[in-house]
Amino acid sequence: MIVLALLLAQAAPVARGERIFAQSCSVGYCHGVAGAAGRGPRLRGRSFAKDYLYGVIRDGIPSSAMPAWKDRLKDDDIRAVVEYVASLATASDAPATANPMPPGVGPASQPVFSGTPQAARGRALFSDPVRENCAVCHAVAGRGIAIGPDLTAAPASELLSRIHSKESRHVLTASLQSGERFAALLVSQTGDEVRLYDLTSTPPVLRTFARSQVVSLVQNPAWRHDDVSKNYSGAQLEDIVAYLRWAATGP
Amino acid sequence: MKSRIGVAVCALVSILSAQDGSTHADWPHYGGQRSAWRYSALDQINRSNVSRLQAVWAFQTGKVDGGFNATPLVVDGVMYVSSSWNRVFAIDAATGREIWHYFYQNPREIGIIYSPWTRGVAVGLGRVFFGTLDNNVVALDRATGRELWRVNVEDIRQCGCNITGAPLLVKDKVVVGVTGGDSAHRGYLTAYDVNTGRRAWRFWTIPGPGEKGHETWEGESWKSGGGATWLTGSYDPELDLLYWGVGNPAADFYGEARKGADLYTDSIIALDPDTGKLKWYYQEVPHDVWDFDAAFECVLFDAPVNGVPRKLLLNVNKGGYTFVIDRTNGEFVSAWPVAENINWITGVDSKGNLLGRNEPPVGKPALMCPSIGGGRQWNHGSYSPRTGWFYTTGIEWCQELTVTPEEPKEGVNFMAGVFHLKPPIHGPAGGHLDAYDPVTGKKFWTYPSKYPLLASQLSTAGDLVFSGDPEGNFFALDAHTGQKLWSFPTGSGHRGSSITYSVRGRQYVATPSGWGSALAGLMPQVWPETEDFPPGSTMFVFALPPESR
Repeated sequence: MIVLALLLAQAAPVARGERIFAQSCSVGYCHGVAGAAGRGPRLRGRSFAKDYLYGVIRDGIPSSAMPAWKDRLKDDDIRAVVEYVASLATASDAPATANPMPPGVGPASQPVFSGTPQAARGRALFSDPVRENCAVCHAVAGRGIAIGPDLTAAPASELLSRIHSKESRHVLTASLQSGERFAALLVSQTGDEVRLYDLTSTPPVLRTFARSQVVSLVQNPAWRHDDVSKNYSGAQLEDIVAYLRWAATGP
Repeated sequence: MKSRIGVAVCALVSILSAQDGSTHADWPHYGGQRSAWRYSALDQINRSNVSRLQAVWAFQTGKVDGGFNATPLVVDGVMYVSSSWNRVFAIDAATGREIWHYFYQNPREIGIIYSPWTRGVAVGLGRVFFGTLDNNVVALDRATGRELWRVNVEDIRQCGCNITGAPLLVKDKVVVGVTGGDSAHRGYLTAYDVNTGRRAWRFWTIPGPGEKGHETWEGESWKSGGGATWLTGSYDPELDLLYWGVGNPAADFYGEARKGADLYTDSIIALDPDTGKLKWYYQEVPHDVWDFDAAFECVLFDAPVNGVPRKLLLNVNKGGYTFVIDRTNGEFVSAWPVAENINWITGVDSKGNLLGRNEPPVGKPALMCPSIGGGRQWNHGSYSPRTGWFYTTGIEWCQELTVTPEEPKEGVNFMAGVFHLKPPIHGPAGGHLDAYDPVTGKKFWTYPSKYPLLASQLSTAGDLVFSGDPEGNFFALDAHTGQKLWSFPTGSGHRGSSITYSVRGRQYVATPSGWGSALAGLMPQVWPETEDFPPGSTMFVFALPPESR
């Protein structure tokens, strides 16, 4: 009886790991049904050290399609998947059964956003695909493209006025030998090379010039940020502020 | 008498204005010319002497991950090509000597959701254009390889998208597509000013609120509906129309959350290249639940239909049917299959409607044919004006598909299904390369292959059809009979697109060799031995020995 209970206890993580694997690792082009190989490598019939599996599943493989699962799965779940993948070492070439993913169950979830519903709305609006959005030029909490200033740095009380403010302190006017002039952010001047963000269109263009091509770079106090109320309503901007507050206070 | 002269003049005009998509010394665009024929008028290498073809140089790109999936371009004796991990090279096309290289480093570690391959560059107006794995459009100085401008289009961590297709140059703009059809992403096609990199226009492949076609999406599904433009379109300068194939809707296999036709996924779109405004569209697969893209090449050719000369566009759908439409207005002309094992529909009627739709059930496995790899893969066919035939491949394979509903999530896959490749019930799994009448689909010959052929075709005025296979053989067939006339083992499988060009009167044939890609990863499910096929990333170039010319 005790032996049976021990066996069950050992089998349980494998079964749980199998279910999580089916939901998260078999999907799409990844590891295929029961590790039969897809764009990701075959896992059936191969021996891996459990430490290695745990590390790869938890942290992913940099610059590859293998993501880090530590933000999406609980540690227990990662360990269950390790047990399941390790159990495939003696599996035959082809999976015997269909994928054991229960109907109506999606892949393992990323963590639920921890902010308020208002902040969650703001988070979506920040990179909303329906309009010219903030994330084209600003990064917040690791999302978006960091060309303009980091908005989370502003004091909470000033956030809304900062967003509405069309003024900017860092914008220059670049004048080129060709006669072209445009509003610019200076990125670098090294050797013979000048790199500028051209703010004429969104997304801004990172342009590289020989120093001799650039006649002058002068402060451009007249430059104004586009009016954000063109793209967002007042209520939507309040939502975005709620998101920025959430980001500033440490998600 | 008067009317007879009128008829004669009309006939002459229609001959003169017929699309000529042949290349000559150069291979200036991704599809050869922008009509995507992948046909060259060069005939120094032909049926009578191809058996004497010899390798004259090889070039190593140095990174083999994902295979060598590109089409090289040649302009004025210089070859421009991109390879995995954002590598771009300019190479002396006669000698193989490197002129410059540009390696773009991803500035941070990123998950490569669509893997590290790239399919090529665009060249023109003194510049070389390409897209990066982390979603930048880059312009380089053609002479030096120095970066001139670059635009980070969207955060890859949010969009789950990047750029793997070759850009297309149209007048003073470079047109660039995007991946993301298997992610929670809203697709688009974007044009940039070649000189400044400023965005000239963007066409969203999924209409937003208030736009026509938005009603074909349910609820919020349009925001994450896919519609990637992941390959390269075509351009007709006379009609001044830009054509682009749009990919599948997301989630790929589960359609209940996006009830409706899901425009403009699985459609051919015709745009004004100056403004990006939609002129017309033709949707091949309304409400796709199989991942059957219309993203492959748009071949522009002119041919009589029932005795009447027509300006046509041919697009092979991933589901295994070829659609032929009128490229002046998008009117359906014909549809014909390139694969035998097709069970997701029973056919296409005379108006273009899909017959007998067989939608996969939710939550229980079903055998669907072809597999997600397609009745044909993206690698491009070739149209020869000499034979008037279209040369393309077909694949016989199926999959056991289990549809599993899922919610859209930022930056990760959004496919809603699990699949396992299987051979067809009747007959073996495998591939073939065939010659067709492009309008009727009448088949003239077939070249069978043990494995799916996943490299593009190239046809020439030497009446040859070149292609390569997964085992690493690059070969030439007689364009009239399909008989194999020459073959060369390059040592790694073929996944890219061969071209031909000439420098100082000598004709060359170039092919990327390098096994890899998503499909190469899936093939072991049917052919376990292919797991051990060696990767590579080498450009092989062939010519006739001087005394044979």
